[in-house]
Amino acid sequence: MINEWLAVTIAAQAVTASTPLILAGCGELVAERAGVLNIGIEGMMLTGCVTAFAVTAATGNGWLGLMAGILAAMAMGALFAVMAINARADQIVAGMAINLLAIGVSGALWRSLQAHDVTEMSQTAGFERSWLPHAWQLTAWLTDLPVVGPLIFQQYGLSLATVGLLMLTWVMFRRTRLGVVLDALGQAPDAAAAAGEPVRAWRWGAVLFAAGCAGAAGAYLSIMRTHAFVPEMTGGKGFVVLALVMFGRWRVGWMVGGCLLFGITESVQQHLQSLPGSRAWPYQTFQVLPYVVAIVALACLSRSAPGPAALGKPWPAER
Amino acid sequence: MTSIWQFLREPLVAVGAGLIALVLVLIGLAVSGFAPADVLSTAWTGVAGSPLRLAICAQEAVPLLLCGLAATLAFRAGVINIGLEGQYLLGAVTAVGVLTSHTGSMAMPWIAMLAGACAGAGWCAIAVALERRRGVPLVLSTILLNVVAVHVVGMLVQGPLHDPLTAAPQSALVPDASRLPVLVAGSGLHVGAIVALGCAVGLWLLQRRTTVGFEWEVIGLNPTAARFAGIPVVRRELTAALGSGAIAGMAGAMQVAGVSFFLSTDAPSYGYVGIAVALLGRLHPLGVIPAALFFSSLDLGSRQLERRLNIPHDIGNIAKGLAVAAVLIAGALSVRSRGRS
Repeated sequence: MINEWLAVTIAAQAVTASTPLILAGCGELVAERAGVLNIGIEGMMLTGCVTAFAVTAATGNGWLGLMAGILAAMAMGALFAVMAINARADQIVAGMAINLLAIGVSGALWRSLQAHDVTEMSQTAGFERSWLPHAWQLTAWLTDLPVVGPLIFQQYGLSLATVGLLMLTWVMFRRTRLGVVLDALGQAPDAAAAAGEPVRAWRWGAVLFAAGCAGAAGAYLSIMRTHAFVPEMTGGKGFVVLALVMFGRWRVGWMVGGCLLFGITESVQQHLQSLPGSRAWPYQTFQVLPYVVAIVALACLSRSAPGPAALGKPWPAER
Repeated sequence: MTSIWQFLREPLVAVGAGLIALVLVLIGLAVSGFAPADVLSTAWTGVAGSPLRLAICAQEAVPLLLCGLAATLAFRAGVINIGLEGQYLLGAVTAVGVLTSHTGSMAMPWIAMLAGACAGAGWCAIAVALERRRGVPLVLSTILLNVVAVHVVGMLVQGPLHDPLTAAPQSALVPDASRLPVLVAGSGLHVGAIVALGCAVGLWLLQRRTTVGFEWEVIGLNPTAARFAGIPVVRRELTAALGSGAIAGMAGAMQVAGVSFFLSTDAPSYGYVGIAVALLGRLHPLGVIPAALFFSSLDLGSRQLERRLNIPHDIGNIAKGLAVAAVLIAGALSVRSRGRS
């Protein structure tokens, strides 16, 4: 039953499904290694998702929508930073506040779009599946390649950008001073401060970067993957990203592996749902599978690495 | 002077945060062309326009109060239980199972609430076991279990608990005889409201007057110190986690037995909002009561605004988020100013 064609389809779907997770995960990883646990990532994704859709539907320009989504999520990130970094509130609690606010903001924006009858965006306004220009003769040939075509060339441009961002992040942590500073913020912020690093400013930067990535990931869901918006569209994907960053032991490569594993379970469950015999079970039986896999994967692997020592702790420790 | 300030600081911070949120929302609406006076008076008729509206406001506050208490119990002991949402849903679906499978009687809602509490505690126990045995942080496991719980409810109301009389994804109705007695005719304000208030006072007494409550407080403030003081930290944290899961589960069961009488795939849950209520109540069992009433009046007021002035009711949720953000910032500022003086 599992023939070669099916395997490629599932793998291509997995790449499409895991792109937003990898993108948001990249940002979350940077924030967490700088010592900030950003539970508000779900709300930031949702904000990016609805804003990108609203702006794209209103202006007909997908690029404007993407930028707006990223900026809106960064505004949420700024509020989070004020609470968690400046006011030294509990990071988890501050993140929950962001999530609550995002549900309200996205709902209000969506309902006012409905009131103005802007609930659909033109298919040409969003982004297309193939990221190569159509004008090129080569494009058709490349996208029709047997395995490489669906896996690489029939994906959205943001998938490619995500790969680039991942490489930059990896190099940053491995090879640059900035990477060392960020790790110091997460492992020993007092030492970083003693060495003259502005801890709060760096953490602000990390949070804004994480928020921007989450916003782009949210925009991917609405203006690229579906060309539509539904209330609470992110449906817990941001929370999955948190789990996957931990599953990946705060390392870029492992995190990507976790996201791909989740993407594969996601596309396998979609395939299972489409099988003729699946009508016997409620569709939730399949939808829940990736989340169960995420929990089981965490249970199998989370003992092995403690994570950044100062993760989730406000700085400075005493007032 | 200092003592009065200390006594009033927490309530002032909470009230101030609520007012800031309201003012911000009113400014936002004024910019969109709605006069603040109109908005306030319209919202007020939705909250307190008649005795019946007041009763509905109290009815809506009951699940918020219970979930807020559940969060208060856990957070005070340093147990970050973000899984109230899932524990609430498990309690609700268990109650539906119990109530719809037995013939109606006076005792049934109470049995269902007990079963719901057990289910909520059990769902939380999975997360605790994952943390103890496998090192998965409670924050992550509870958050993922919330998503799983939503799907479990979906599976059950379309599978074993599905109402055969309808194609919609919803459970059968709870029999009339198994419903909680109503306090105010015409509203859904049921006997459970008294139970919820009792829980608030009970938790307050537990925290203020018992050894366990004191030990929870110490663990929440400094787990290392608690361990050196000989407090059985692991066991106390377990009771706090299971206790908060049980309260959340009972809240779900109570809502089914007293207000909604069935469960569908898009049934609201009060778990996440409950955390916000607890924060606005400054993690004080009695402070949670006005915080829950404030949130339920935001709900009712914003729905009235949607009906009368065509303003999306989601501004109620925006106000809730802003209130929590404001209370976090104001709380930090008030502590800092005390430290300087």
